[in-house]
Amino acid sequence: MRRTNPLLALTSAAMALPAFSATQPVESLISIRATVYEEEDAPAHQILVGADDRYDIDIGQFRLLTPIGSDWSVDLSVTHEAMSGASPWYNIQGANQQTSLIMSGATIRDARTEVSLTTTRYQDDSSISIGLTRSDEDDYEAKAISVSGEWDFNNKLSTLSIGLSYSTDDIRPTDAPNFGRVLKEDKSSHSFSVGWGQILNKHSSLHVGLDITSHDGFLSDPYKLRDTRPDDRLEWALGLKYRRYFDNQNAALHLDYRYYHDDWGINSHTLYSAWYQSLGSDFKLVPNLRYYSQTKADFYSVTNNFALPLTTNQSSDFRLAGYGAYTFGLKAIYDIDTWRVSLSVDRYISSEDYGHSGSKGEHPAAVKFLLTSIGLDFRF
Amino acid sequence: MELSRHAFTAMGCPCEVRLFCDDTKLAEEAAARCVAEARRFEAKYSRYLPGSITTQINSSAGRSPVTIDPETASILDYSGVCFEQSHGLFDITSGVLRTIWHPTMQTLPTNEALDQCLSLVGWNKIQRSADSIFLPSAGMEVDFGGVVKEYAADALAEIAKSLGIRSGLINLGGDIRIIGPQPCGSAWSIGITHPTEKDSAFAVIEVEEGAITTSGSYERYFEIGENKYSHLINPITGWPVSGLLSVSIFAPLAIVAGSIASIALLNTKEAGLEFLNECHLPYLAIDQNMDSYGNLAK
Repeated sequence: MRRTNPLLALTSAAMALPAFSATQPVESLISIRATVYEEEDAPAHQILVGADDRYDIDIGQFRLLTPIGSDWSVDLSVTHEAMSGASPWYNIQGANQQTSLIMSGATIRDARTEVSLTTTRYQDDSSISIGLTRSDEDDYEAKAISVSGEWDFNNKLSTLSIGLSYSTDDIRPTDAPNFGRVLKEDKSSHSFSVGWGQILNKHSSLHVGLDITSHDGFLSDPYKLRDTRPDDRLEWALGLKYRRYFDNQNAALHLDYRYYHDDWGINSHTLYSAWYQSLGSDFKLVPNLRYYSQTKADFYSVTNNFALPLTTNQSSDFRLAGYGAYTFGLKAIYDIDTWRVSLSVDRYISSEDYGHSGSKGEHPAAVKFLLTSIGLDFRF
Repeated sequence: MELSRHAFTAMGCPCEVRLFCDDTKLAEEAAARCVAEARRFEAKYSRYLPGSITTQINSSAGRSPVTIDPETASILDYSGVCFEQSHGLFDITSGVLRTIWHPTMQTLPTNEALDQCLSLVGWNKIQRSADSIFLPSAGMEVDFGGVVKEYAADALAEIAKSLGIRSGLINLGGDIRIIGPQPCGSAWSIGITHPTEKDSAFAVIEVEEGAITTSGSYERYFEIGENKYSHLINPITGWPVSGLLSVSIFAPLAIVAGSIASIALLNTKEAGLEFLNECHLPYLAIDQNMDSYGNLAK
């Protein structure tokens, strides 16, 4: 019988020793991140009415992660987003059989603040976390609670993680009476996830995860003139993450695949790959590529049909169409002493034609955006 | 950045903590905590000290189980993996064989003495639970010497790292674990002591991270009649080992490097070299004719 590589057997046994069980953070971490999201303006020839500048979002994030005593840690995150721009209101069949966008009138300006607090208790081979999140903006309030646990097996070669969460959202659309929007609605979500992480050998690891979420309540978009969606949605997703380290090249490959399915008729595939290349001991460059493709929701149509009763499901929201998208990204990470600076740029383009099951008819609201982000981490 | 060096004695050997750090106060604190941790290991695991867990376990042999803490339990677990990976040659109960093979003896032990001693040896005889250990026969002993010194080098390095030290090394009696490269990113030059000429280096290795340990029986040979016998005893046959003279090995962790070097030395020369090759780590092995093998020096 061919025995395991002794180095692997001894190393994995050694990792169970207390000096290496740094699952509890021994350092504290402060992170700040600033991100600018700019959507490309919708093609002018397709806008019949309304402003043509699409969404811009500026995001500031702050995070503090710190150990408390020898068995606990606390993770606090605060995110602030400032949004402005116009958003598609409805689609109609315009001249020449082309679909035309009717954009919302004046530019919307809105701000959202989210605060999240998680506390974790560590034991020799396991940890349990509880988290609370609260998000507020003019028209939307969300609260969520989550519980999760992680257990290590096989001398930390394997990890099982299980999580449960519940969230409730209240929507009070702005300018509701003027636009005939719903006055106040709510929705809730229940979510369950289970994952298994496995170190395959000295160079590689694999993680498999299953997530199931059920949403109930008002799931339609209140800002669209006609948008009626079912009042429940069941989603599940299966994800695989593979990591392979190339010691000779000082590099690592990340490969992620995710399959998603829900009962609105949407299936999607996501494939993400990133190459982490170390250049010297302080600098990393990470080119990355993401491909996404989804089928359309059963009740999706590219133009709104106002003749249908209000209770019949329909939506022309591009996010429910059949489409595909590519994201081309580049990230640079620079370590100086106890600081880490990271800069990333992502270009996202989507179109019905890129998907494996694109909807017919060019959707004028297919999103294209540029995301630029700069972050600073400090350990103490 | 300033280099701070702290030399001290622990676990029966000369030790050193070398740190590069801008903050001298932090360097001092880190060094103090490293020294304290080394002394903690010594007080807890030395078989010579009356209050150590080793002494408690050994003096309760044949009488009662001893409760052990998670750290001791995980060191025992690790020793068990060493036993498996060495096919029984690395056995922390083999220390009693010292009593029948000692430097001042004039004649070989009798078969009766050998058999009687071997009856007290055997990792598989130990009775263990998650938090207790029992040596079933009086006279049985465990000795953590082959594991704790190298583990301590790793533990000290992790303490320094957790305090924010990014550059330095720990040297516990020749077992070296690097905390991080020298400040400009350059490697540390580690000398491998010549097996017989103690003041000169057999080779100098450039290392930026990881650990280098050297195990060798060249200093502790004893002679009976015309023959030389190593201080390492094969726990299965009960006889001293005749194999490689010394092994230096590089691995990411000192504890792993130390175990692999020890296992290689407990084997015959051929089996030892084969074992080292199976691990795919850089090593330097010297045999009794002073021939060297392995690619560590390159």
